[in-house]
Amino acid sequence: MRVGDIAAGRAGDKGDMLDLTLVARDQPAYEQLREALTPERLQPLLNRVVPGPVQRYELPGLRALKFVMPQALPGGVYAALHPGLHWQKAAIWLLLDLSLESDAQGLRLVTPQEAQ
Amino acid sequence: MATPVCVIGAGAGFAGDRVDPAVVLAASGVDAVVLECLAERTLVPAIRARRDNPQAGFDPRIGRRLRALLPVAHQNGCRIVSNFGAANPAAAAQYIARLAREMGISGLRVAAVVGDDVADRQPQINWVRDPGAPLLGAHVYLGCNPLADALAQGADVVVTGRVADSALFSAVARDRLAPSQDALAGAIGVGHLLECGGQLTGGNYEPIAGAGAPPPLTAEEYARLGYPLARVMADGSAEIGLPPGTPGIVDPLTCTLQLLYEVHDPSYYATPDLVVDFSGVRFERLGDNRVRMSGVKSKGPPPTLKVAGFVDRPGFIMDCEITLAGAGARSRAEVMAQALRLRLSDWADDDVVVDRVGAGSVLRALSQPLRGEVPEMRVHVSARCADAEQAQIIEDEVYAMTLSGPAGGASVRSEKRPRIEVLDGFIAPQHVEPQLLWSTS
Repeated sequence: MRVGDIAAGRAGDKGDMLDLTLVARDQPAYEQLREALTPERLQPLLNRVVPGPVQRYELPGLRALKFVMPQALPGGVYAALHPGLHWQKAAIWLLLDLSLESDAQGLRLVTPQEAQ
Repeated sequence: MATPVCVIGAGAGFAGDRVDPAVVLAASGVDAVVLECLAERTLVPAIRARRDNPQAGFDPRIGRRLRALLPVAHQNGCRIVSNFGAANPAAAAQYIARLAREMGISGLRVAAVVGDDVADRQPQINWVRDPGAPLLGAHVYLGCNPLADALAQGADVVVTGRVADSALFSAVARDRLAPSQDALAGAIGVGHLLECGGQLTGGNYEPIAGAGAPPPLTAEEYARLGYPLARVMADGSAEIGLPPGTPGIVDPLTCTLQLLYEVHDPSYYATPDLVVDFSGVRFERLGDNRVRMSGVKSKGPPPTLKVAGFVDRPGFIMDCEITLAGAGARSRAEVMAQALRLRLSDWADDDVVVDRVGAGSVLRALSQPLRGEVPEMRVHVSARCADAEQAQIIEDEVYAMTLSGPAGGASVRSEKRPRIEVLDGFIAPQHVEPQLLWSTS
């Protein structure tokens, strides 16, 4: 199941920080995302695109998870070597396009490339 | 239903935002329209302009905005609050008074809030790291008090430089709220929610597919998107909605996304007036595009105020792009990207990136895979350049592909931008002394 099938999201930035917000469509989706999207699982995947640690804030009353990467955008969005300005507005698809799969080893996060 | 103490509209969410939503809001009878027009870096060209001309340094779009908005706002008794004064709110206020006179509006009272420029107080500023170069400027984030004072003294237009975006809104509510920190925290929360304009009302938003989800907005609806308004209650709670007859989506989901947008720790959001806690916020659907917001809490005043410092690093970032089209465009683009990297082989990977636009240039390793042929593809080079000559080399190497690369390299465009760095600092509140300067049409 794709994260974007059960949550909406938005990406923002402040200085070097990238912030990714997911809001689950209902309570079971929130629990599922909270279990699956741990910083330990996410960081190695996100670090293929942006550097640094991942912090997570849980907001059960809002069914929201907030992921903050304080060092993801070194020098801020204007210093990024990406085509054009403000690529980070699209960065929420780094999360929305991940899929949750469970197999014999337990829960796994699968990238769009691996899902083929 | 509770009676609001004030109704505030968000007419713009960044310097280049649309002009018409503010006019629609003013005509709908709100007490004040806020125009948020000053990002961190928007200040940099403004500081440069003021250095060259003491009467410049405010947002050059003020004229275009106010020629449309002033007559409607004036007729409806709607105040205008904006940070479009940028690096020179005093000159902006004089310009606005002159503009109003030219438009036949007399007696308009315009207050400039000055004092955010703290470039002359550097001994009092603690920077998070050594600036390492002379600062282009330093501006502290002011809170709502000088703005609210201006409104209390009868300002029709309040024009500021650097203030916390949310303070543009809480200033309108301050004197009408119950005297409690939680009520002010609520108004700050309202400001944070509204400050990005259309991003609260269905812009930059993809509904989750499935039962119960609103349909995505149509092209016509995006083009006419209504910008948000808040009916603020005395306790700092608010009803969020749209002006009558405008399209958009305001539901608990869009509100939650915007509440948490660009916030680091949601339980400790530091603003110049109060540190606020969003973790207990509740959004409740009241009806079509009507949501009640409550539960913002205060954690008391912040110990220090944040300062944005700007450092001009030498050199440029160069962006240059070229298109391949027709049968085989994808493979010609792949070959061209490789050839360009070979031509730039003495550049470090940290300083140059060659992307194919259309094949994961944005999300890179976590992009969707590219399947099959495409009718066209762009090859893009981004490079960190020490000086203008290096930047020219990047452009020349891309252009040379039109003669000496794979067939059909076309539609070249390039852009060179300066390397400005924003540096955070902190200053004790007693070193900051905001003042009001008045102009009248």
